[in-house]
Amino acid sequence: MTETAISARPATAPAMPRLRLRAAEPWLYLAPALAVVAVWTYVPLLQAFELSFYQWNMLPRSQPQFVGLGNYVNLLTLPDMQRAVVNTILYTAGLLPLSVGIPLVVALMTAGLSGPLRNLYRALIFVPMIVAPIVAAIVWRWLLNEDHGLVNHWIEAMGFEAVGFLRDPQFALWTLVWITGWKLIGFSTLLFAAADAGINPSYVEAARMDGATNWQIVRDIRLPLLSPTILLLTMMTILFGAQWSFVYINALTGGGPLGSTTNVYFVMWEYGFKTMAAGWSTAAGMLVFAVFGLIALACLGIMKRMAFYDE
Amino acid sequence: MIRRHFLTLALGASILAGAGAGTATAQMADSVTEPVTISFYNYNLASAGLGREATLELIAAFEKANPMIKIEPVGVPSNEVLSRVQADMIAGLEVDVAQLVFRDLIYAAEQLGAQPLEDVVGDELSAHAAGFVPNGLALGEVNDKTYGLAYVFSTPVMFINRDLFREAGLDPDQPPRTWDDVKQAGIAIAEKTGKHGFFPGAYGPIDGTFVYQSIVMSNGGKVREGNTLTFADENQADAVAMLRDLMDSGAHARIDVASHMDTFQSGNLGMFLFTSAVLSRFEEAAEGNFELGLAPMPSFGEKPTAPTNSGSAVFMFSQDPVKQRAAWELMKFLTSNEAYTTITSKIGYLPLRPATLTDDRYLKGWLAENPKFQANIEQLDRLTPNVAFPGPNYRQVENMMKEAMTEAVFGDGDPREVLRTAQETAQPLMPSN
Amino acid sequence: MTNSSQARKAGAHAVMIVLSALAIFPVYWMVQTSFRPSNEVFSTLLFPTAPTLDNYRAVMDAMPILRILGNTFVMAAATTLAQVLTGLLAAWALVRWRFPGGRIAHSLIALSWLVPFQVVMIPNYVLATRLGLLDTLAGLVIPNAAAAFAVLVLYNAMRGFPREVVEAARMDGAGSFRTLVEVVVPNLRAPLASISILCFISAWNEYFWPLLLIRKMDNAVVQIGLQFFMTQEGNDWGLLMAAATLASLPILALYLVLQRQVVESFMKSGIR
Repeated sequence: MTETAISARPATAPAMPRLRLRAAEPWLYLAPALAVVAVWTYVPLLQAFELSFYQWNMLPRSQPQFVGLGNYVNLLTLPDMQRAVVNTILYTAGLLPLSVGIPLVVALMTAGLSGPLRNLYRALIFVPMIVAPIVAAIVWRWLLNEDHGLVNHWIEAMGFEAVGFLRDPQFALWTLVWITGWKLIGFSTLLFAAADAGINPSYVEAARMDGATNWQIVRDIRLPLLSPTILLLTMMTILFGAQWSFVYINALTGGGPLGSTTNVYFVMWEYGFKTMAAGWSTAAGMLVFAVFGLIALACLGIMKRMAFYDE
Repeated sequence: MIRRHFLTLALGASILAGAGAGTATAQMADSVTEPVTISFYNYNLASAGLGREATLELIAAFEKANPMIKIEPVGVPSNEVLSRVQADMIAGLEVDVAQLVFRDLIYAAEQLGAQPLEDVVGDELSAHAAGFVPNGLALGEVNDKTYGLAYVFSTPVMFINRDLFREAGLDPDQPPRTWDDVKQAGIAIAEKTGKHGFFPGAYGPIDGTFVYQSIVMSNGGKVREGNTLTFADENQADAVAMLRDLMDSGAHARIDVASHMDTFQSGNLGMFLFTSAVLSRFEEAAEGNFELGLAPMPSFGEKPTAPTNSGSAVFMFSQDPVKQRAAWELMKFLTSNEAYTTITSKIGYLPLRPATLTDDRYLKGWLAENPKFQANIEQLDRLTPNVAFPGPNYRQVENMMKEAMTEAVFGDGDPREVLRTAQETAQPLMPSN
Repeated sequence: MTNSSQARKAGAHAVMIVLSALAIFPVYWMVQTSFRPSNEVFSTLLFPTAPTLDNYRAVMDAMPILRILGNTFVMAAATTLAQVLTGLLAAWALVRWRFPGGRIAHSLIALSWLVPFQVVMIPNYVLATRLGLLDTLAGLVIPNAAAAFAVLVLYNAMRGFPREVVEAARMDGAGSFRTLVEVVVPNLRAPLASISILCFISAWNEYFWPLLLIRKMDNAVVQIGLQFFMTQEGNDWGLLMAAATLASLPILALYLVLQRQVVESFMKSGIR
C-alpha cells in the first residue's frame, strides 16, 4: 500500500453551492446501516440500561420495582464471579496460541509450499470454520469422552491412562479452549498466509543480498510487516474469545466440573438471561458491554500506536 | 417522572394495552359452541421421537373428540419453555395452555398468572381428580390452590446393567435396596470390571433437582421450609455426605456430568439413578450390547424412600371464558385414562391414574409385557411432591443449591461446610417473610 | 535443491498434514456416525461395520428437510446480500467524506459488534412480533441486515484503495454513487467475496435467534433441525449426526466447489 489512502486527504472537495445536500450525502449512505443498528441494537440497549436498575420480569401484570444498583451488586457478589473473571483471562490466554501463535508459525513455515498440495491443505484447514459451533460441540464431546471416546481409546492403546477431558477440573477449561481454538487455527493460518504473501518480495530479496539469514528475515522484515494482522487477531481473541467459548460452555459443561470452566459470559447467562429476570440480565449485559467496550477502546489505542504499516 | 415515563414508553405501552383486556375474570363457559383455537406450549413436541409422536397423537385424538376446538401447538425445548411463554406474554401473544416443569410451579402461579383451577373450573376439578394417585393434585399446588395439573411425570428409578452385575459377581436379580447395598455393589463393579459403579442424574445441566430432592427427602429432609432454605440442615446434608462417601469409596463414578446417559448407554456404568422417561431410549441402545434391568430407588436403611416427581404439569393461562372451557377440556383429556395409556406405554412416564394399570382397556396388557416397569409403579404410592422455590430469584437460588451439592460430592471440601456456605449466600435471594 | 531446504519443505508438509487431519477428522467422524445403527453408535471402530441409511430416512420422515434447506439458503443469501450492501454504503460514506458526526457514526457501528446478543434478544423478539415478523424468514433477515464486521472490513479495504483513481473518476464528473459502483466496487472483488463468505457462514449457522422466532417446521432453518434431535430423553446420536451432516453438507459442498476462489479471495484480501 504505497499510495496514499483516500481518507488521508484533509477536507473533501472545495465548497460547492449545493452545500446542504452535500452535508446530507454521507448520511444517506450511512442511513441503512445506522437504521438497522439503531432499531435492533441501540434502542434495546438503552432500554436495557434503564431496566438494569429495576427488579421486573417484564410481565404486564407486575410493576417494575426500582432497586438502584441492587442488580449489579447481586451479580458482582455471586460466589462464582471471581473464578469467572480469572477463567475469562485463562480462556483468552489459552486461545491466543491457537488463534495467533500457532497459525503465525505455520504460515511462516509453510510460506514456501506451492502447487496443488498447498491448495488442498488450505482447503482442508478452512473446514472447521464452516462447521456450526453446536455441531462442533457435539462431535468433540463425543470424541473426548472418557469411556467411549475415540481420543481416549487411542490414548489407552498407547498405554497411557484415560484423560477426563471434560470431567476433570484440571483439564476441562483447556479442553474447551481447544475446541474453541479448533475452529480458528485454520482460518487464522489463512489470514497470516495471505498477509505474508502480500509482503513485497523486493524487501526480502534486498535483505538476502545483504546476507541476512532466514531467521533475521523473519524477525526484521516479515514479522514487523505481519504486525497489523497479529494485532488484529490478538484483539479479536481478547474481545470475542469469551463469547466464542460461551457456546461450548453452554453446550458441554454448563460451567462445571466444579465451576472450573465458567467464565464471565456464562455466569451472566446462568444468573441473568436464562432466568428471564429483566434486572439481572440487563445488568449482566451492561456489565459485559461496558467492560469489553473499554477493552476494545484500549486495544484500538494500542493498535494505532504499535502497528507497523508498510507505507 | 421522566424515568418512569421512558420505561413505560419503551416497553410498557402496548404491553399494558394488551393485558387490560382480560383482567376481569368472568365465569368459565359451560361449553364450546363456536369454533375456537387455543395455543398449547409443549416441550415434548420440540424434539423428534416418541414424546413428540405420542403428543401429536393425543392432540389429534382430542381434536377429533372436540370438533369445535382447534389446538395450535407451539413446541419449545423444556429448558426454554418457561422463558418462551413469558416472552410471548410480553409480546402480547395469547398463551392458553402450557406444559411447564415442576421447578417453575410457584413462578407460574404467582408471576405468570396461571389460573387457580379451583376458582375457574370449580367442582369439576375434584370430579376429574377422583382416580388420581393419592398425591396427584398436590403436585401442582401452591398455597392450597391447584395451578398445575400433573401431566407427564415420573420418579427416579435405578437402571441396572445386568451384564456388569454378573461380571462383578453380583446377582442382577437382587439389585441394591439400600444405599449401603449401592456402595458394596458399586465398589464391586468398579474393582472387578474396571467400569463405573453408580451415578445419579443429579448434577448435569439438564438434570434438574428431582433426583437430588428424592435422595434428600428419603432421608427425612427438605430443601426449604417456607421461605427459609434448609438444604444444609442435618438430614439434608447427611444425604449429600452419603453421596460423597460413595464417591470417596470409589462406588460413585467420577464422569462428565453432562454425558451420564451416554456412559450408561455405552455399557460403562453399572447403576444409574434417573427418570424412567429415558427407558425406551435405553432399551434401544442396550439391544445387542447388554441386558437392561430396572429397580426402585435405594433407601436409607429402613426409612421409606420419598421418590419425587420429574417432568411437568399443564397450566391454564386463558382469560376468555370460552377459551378457558376449551383449555380445561384439553387439560382433562391430557390427564384421562386414554391419554395415560398412550403416555405410559409410548413414552414411559407414570400414569397419574393407577386404575389404568389393572384395566384391560388401558395398560394392563402392556404392563404384563413390560414387567420391568413395575419398579417405577411401586414408587407411585410414596410419590412426594417436588419442592419448587418461591420469589423472583427462584432460579438463581435453585442454581446455587445445585452447584453447592455438586461441589460437596465432587470437591475436596467438607460437604456440610460447602452446603452451609451456599445456603447462607442464597438465603438473601429468597423472599422475606 | 539443497538438503536443508528439502528438509524444510518436508517439515512444512508434515505440519500442514497434521493440521489438515485435525481439521477434517471430527467432520469425518460426524459423517460416519450418521451411517451407524443406534446400538452401534458407541463403537470406536473408524468406520461403520453395517452402514445404514436409517438415520437419514428417520430425519427425512421427521421433518421436511429439503424445504428447510431451501429456507436456510434463502435466509443466508438474503442476510449476506443485505449485510454486504449496507456495509458497502456505510463504509463508502466513512471513507469518502470527512464530516461532523462521522467518527461517532463509525464508533457506533463498530461498538454494536460488542453488544451481547442476549441483551437485545427479548426486546427484539417483542418488536419482531409486533411487526408481524414472528415465524417468518424476513424476521430472521431484517434484524441482521447490517453487520459491524462488514462495515469495518470494507472500510479498511476502501481506505487502501488508490486515491488517484477516485480523483480521476471525480474529474470525469462521476457522482459519489457512480464512483462507488463503477470504480470502487469492481476493485474490491476479493474483500467482497471473502466478506460474503463469512457472512453467509455465520447466517447459516445462526442458532439462538431462529430458535426463538420460528415456530412451524415449514419455516424452519437447519439449525432448528439440529435442536430437534437433541432431547431431554438423551440424544439420539445417529439421528443427530445425520441431521448435522445434512445441515453442514450444503455449505461444505458449496465450499468444495468454490474453495479455490474462497481461499484465493482470502489470500488476496487478507481481511484487516
